[in-house]
Amino acid sequence: MTVIGVLGGAGTVGRVAVDRLAGYGLGELRIGGRDIDRVTAVCRATPGAAVPVRVDLRDPDELRAFCTGCRVVVNCAGPSYQVLDTVARAALAAGADYVDAGGDLTAVEALESAAPPELAERAAVFSAGVMPGLSGLLPRLLAAGPLARLDGYVGGAARISELSAVDVLLTRGPRFGTALAAWRDGRLAPGALAPLHDVTLPGFAGRVHAWPFLSAEFARLATELDVAEARNYTVYVTDAIPRALAEAWADDGPIERHVAAVVAAAEADLAATGPYYTLLFQAVPAAMPAPGQSKAPRRLILRTPDSYALSGVVAAIATREVLDGRVEPGARSAAECLDAAAVFARLSGDPLVTQAEIR
Amino acid sequence: MSLSRGPHDDSSVEGELSRIWGELLDVDPDTIPADASFLRLGGDSVLAVRMSAMVRRRLAVELALSDVTVEITLAQLADAVRRRRTAGNGAHRALPVEIEHRADPSAPFPLMPLQQGYFVGQHDGWELSYESAHFYADFGLTGLDGDEAAEALEDALARLALHQPMLRARITPQGEQYVLAPDAPGAIPRPRVYDLRESTPQEVEAHLLAVRHEMRTTGPNPLHGPGLDVRLSLLPGDRGRLHTGESLLIMDGWSATLLNRELLTLAADWNAVLAPLDVDFGDYVTSLGRLRDSEPYAADRDWWHARLGDVPRPPALPLRADPRDVRASTMETLENHVAADRWAALRDQCASREVTPSAAMLTAFAVVLARWAGHRRMLLNSLQLNRLPLHPDIHRVIGAFATTMLIPVELAQGRTFADLAGEIQRTFTEHAAHNLVSGVEVSRELARRRETTRPVAPVVFQSTLGMDAAIGAQAESAGPLGDLNFDDFHHQLRTPQVALEARFYEMRDELVLVFSLVAELFHTEQVDAAFADLLALVETLADGPGWDRIVDLPAAAAPDPVPGLTLDRLPEHDADHGDGPPVDELEQRICTVWEEILGVPVLDRGAGFFALGGDSLLVVRTLARIAKEVGGAPSVREFLNAPTVAGVAAAVRARLADARP
Ligand SMILES: NC(=O)c1ccc[n+]([C@@H]2O[C@H](COP(=O)([O-])OP(=O)(O)OC[C@H]3O[C@@H](n4cnc5c(N)ncnc54)[C@H](OP(=O)(O)O)[C@@H]3O)[C@@H](O)[C@H]2O)c1
Repeated sequence: MTVIGVLGGAGTVGRVAVDRLAGYGLGELRIGGRDIDRVTAVCRATPGAAVPVRVDLRDPDELRAFCTGCRVVVNCAGPSYQVLDTVARAALAAGADYVDAGGDLTAVEALESAAPPELAERAAVFSAGVMPGLSGLLPRLLAAGPLARLDGYVGGAARISELSAVDVLLTRGPRFGTALAAWRDGRLAPGALAPLHDVTLPGFAGRVHAWPFLSAEFARLATELDVAEARNYTVYVTDAIPRALAEAWADDGPIERHVAAVVAAAEADLAATGPYYTLLFQAVPAAMPAPGQSKAPRRLILRTPDSYALSGVVAAIATREVLDGRVEPGARSAAECLDAAAVFARLSGDPLVTQAEIR
Repeated sequence: MSLSRGPHDDSSVEGELSRIWGELLDVDPDTIPADASFLRLGGDSVLAVRMSAMVRRRLAVELALSDVTVEITLAQLADAVRRRRTAGNGAHRALPVEIEHRADPSAPFPLMPLQQGYFVGQHDGWELSYESAHFYADFGLTGLDGDEAAEALEDALARLALHQPMLRARITPQGEQYVLAPDAPGAIPRPRVYDLRESTPQEVEAHLLAVRHEMRTTGPNPLHGPGLDVRLSLLPGDRGRLHTGESLLIMDGWSATLLNRELLTLAADWNAVLAPLDVDFGDYVTSLGRLRDSEPYAADRDWWHARLGDVPRPPALPLRADPRDVRASTMETLENHVAADRWAALRDQCASREVTPSAAMLTAFAVVLARWAGHRRMLLNSLQLNRLPLHPDIHRVIGAFATTMLIPVELAQGRTFADLAGEIQRTFTEHAAHNLVSGVEVSRELARRRETTRPVAPVVFQSTLGMDAAIGAQAESAGPLGDLNFDDFHHQLRTPQVALEARFYEMRDELVLVFSLVAELFHTEQVDAAFADLLALVETLADGPGWDRIVDLPAAAAPDPVPGLTLDRLPEHDADHGDGPPVDELEQRICTVWEEILGVPVLDRGAGFFALGGDSLLVVRTLARIAKEVGGAPSVREFLNAPTVAGVAAAVRARLADARP
């Protein structure tokens, strides 16, 4: 019997991952977390076989025990910057493949810096969420050849858990991305873009604020897809979150101090429009398109009421792809190793996706 | 501590204020009662603006625009001054900017909102627009010295162009303005002189007709040369005619009067020197630009925006053609005069009813429109020649200062004319207290919210009653040019986006009433009837009884929908070109140009230029860019008919297809 371990399966992201994995009927679920009652409750609510396991990922023995016997370990616990490659190494050591809803290039690099031998046969997929994750994967569907422009607008109004607030506050600095920068002609163009206030964007409700943030993920994508100019924005429905972040970053103290403010800002946004989240990508083919490539720009819009839950769906889809043998061995981010068309097709059928269109 | 009174103690406030009133109203300061209103003493809104500027300079107190109304008494004004002083300057709604000299007087500066409208109009931008927005006038001269006149006029014009920089102004194709240095080629406008002293009466008549026709239909264009065209016809018998064509892009109605005065003063005397100007139009515009970043500006904008949902439509005047389909070359003028004694009687009536003559005329115009349109609630536009009191010299500067102000009017039923006029004056004053944001800007926002490119306020009221007094007396004689004779005064104004304009002004102690209209739009007999109605109403006001009579008005507040075209409901273009990402390279290029010009992402072919933050001036710039990049661009008017990416792309494609042999 295939065993799928879901670490943090009682969390916001994890619960949805568990639900979808159970629905796909891929095997028995082993659900882990520190609070056994919560994990047990999730198991009860899950159709099919699901076993609760108490585990603290910071305890190597408990973690090893959790991973042992798993065919694949799905990590939905965080915060990512602390987890890094801890769970991945334990999973690989136990002979399992690995999928992480969080984690980013730092985690990939940590794992690769002293790559365990199992990585030659096993896949370790990081950033199997919405952003990072879909934000680096879906634009690939628009690129049939070199592009003159690629624009990404991702955001909306969503609750931010305290755990994710820590991640948000920490994902700052050149390793994650550069504010106000664009990607032009093969290099980063600092200060090329200004924040947009009160703009309308396809797929977003009313007027929104968009902050240029060239993520490392998007910059890599631009290089890979041969994009002359790439613009990437994080979209907020008010300026509450950017303001809270700016205040936090202006302060030298420990970031924990600002978690509450970021969570409150997200609540304020939510009160303003209700929950919604949009990924909008638009690609303009290069002046000399590839043979057979149309010169008409193309657009992809994906909408969901809940981006956290959707990250759980993505993690579940990634797990399925791994189990189906459609992911090559090695440590990579989901954007770089999943098949964009297959993921998009699965997302289109998911009840959490309210709009999925390419035109 | 000294007990003696300093120069700024309280009692000196009244003293200085009464001196200011004395100068402005030409009365003895010592005889001004503390409880008599500015209006009753002969003041008006124009003089009130000058008063603010004088208070600013002499008492170093910045009055808020809402402090100074024409109804204010000397005692109330003194209170307001004291309030401002204790509150500290800029506390409430004082003007938050100081006028500053620009370091480089030849540096380009932006167009004022109304100038933008004229500029776009000259690009065939609006329905109801002409190749040039200009004012033409000519009047007779008698006792002219045929040998000296031409030289005197040329010299006077040259001296005036040194004194008034805007006479040397040019407009760039991008819609900016700048002033040429005096020694730049072509900077100084020169008059054109026709010598018909030896001609027959028939030749003279034919000549005058031809010049008049030419100057009425073709105005000076500051994009290519001076914005002022002065011509002199020398006629037999020591007579002559002075013709002036003035581009509204460089000067407003106030400036036109000023120009006449100063030009003739200089022509009369080779040695005349005009009092130097400490400030120019560019300084004013630049200061206003800073005003836009201020709190009071934001407060005014919010005030207007909060009202936009309730703003009525223009009067539902029946039309015989859609303005979009009309290509008029001139506006028709109906004109009548109220004799000097009757005009004096009317002024007295106004003063005793505590309304300004302008408010009374606005009310009369509104009443006539209500009867014509069949409803009582309507949006009117007004041309405002008042300048913000940034500097005491500002009223002596030639420039395109004018702005507009929207006036929503609701005439209640069963009221006397005096009641209605009082109400209108209150409405007017309330709106004028928020005049940091111009009517042009408010109209733009209104159109954006209504998602229309049709004119939102094409019926205009303009009154310059009281303005002449503010500018100073007109000389009767102009030396070698002879004596001025306004008995046969010809004039014509051509402004874009106006269907009907009522103008009220004074001419040699008479009140002049004018309807200026695009005749092709209206039913002639209705226009004639409305103009007759206005005259009759004004006459009853001069007589007196008109004030206390219940005004006969239609029952409906809003227009009943009637078959046929009316001015309040002009059909929108329903061409829907669809939305989605751009469908081809051309649409994408248009998106890219819009992005650069508007500074926002343009991702959808259904995106509207104005919803994205564009305005008409940016349309002109956008079209210039499109023409350069794709080799063809539609007219501004075509752009406005379908101002989306897809709509403009369709117009470009049509253009390019036409151009192909
Ligand atoms: N890529 C994306 O778009 C995306 C989007 C959302 C979230 N994420 C990532 O996904 C992760 C989960 O986020 P979330 O919002 O679901 O957080 P959450 O609601 O707080 O859930 C975290 C879960 O992990 C468990 N957990 C926490 N610390 C643990 C530990 N030391 N040992 C074992 N289990 C532990 C928690 O249960 P106990 O407290 O009972 O242990 C809880 O069930 C975060 O790393 C976040 O950054 C990624």
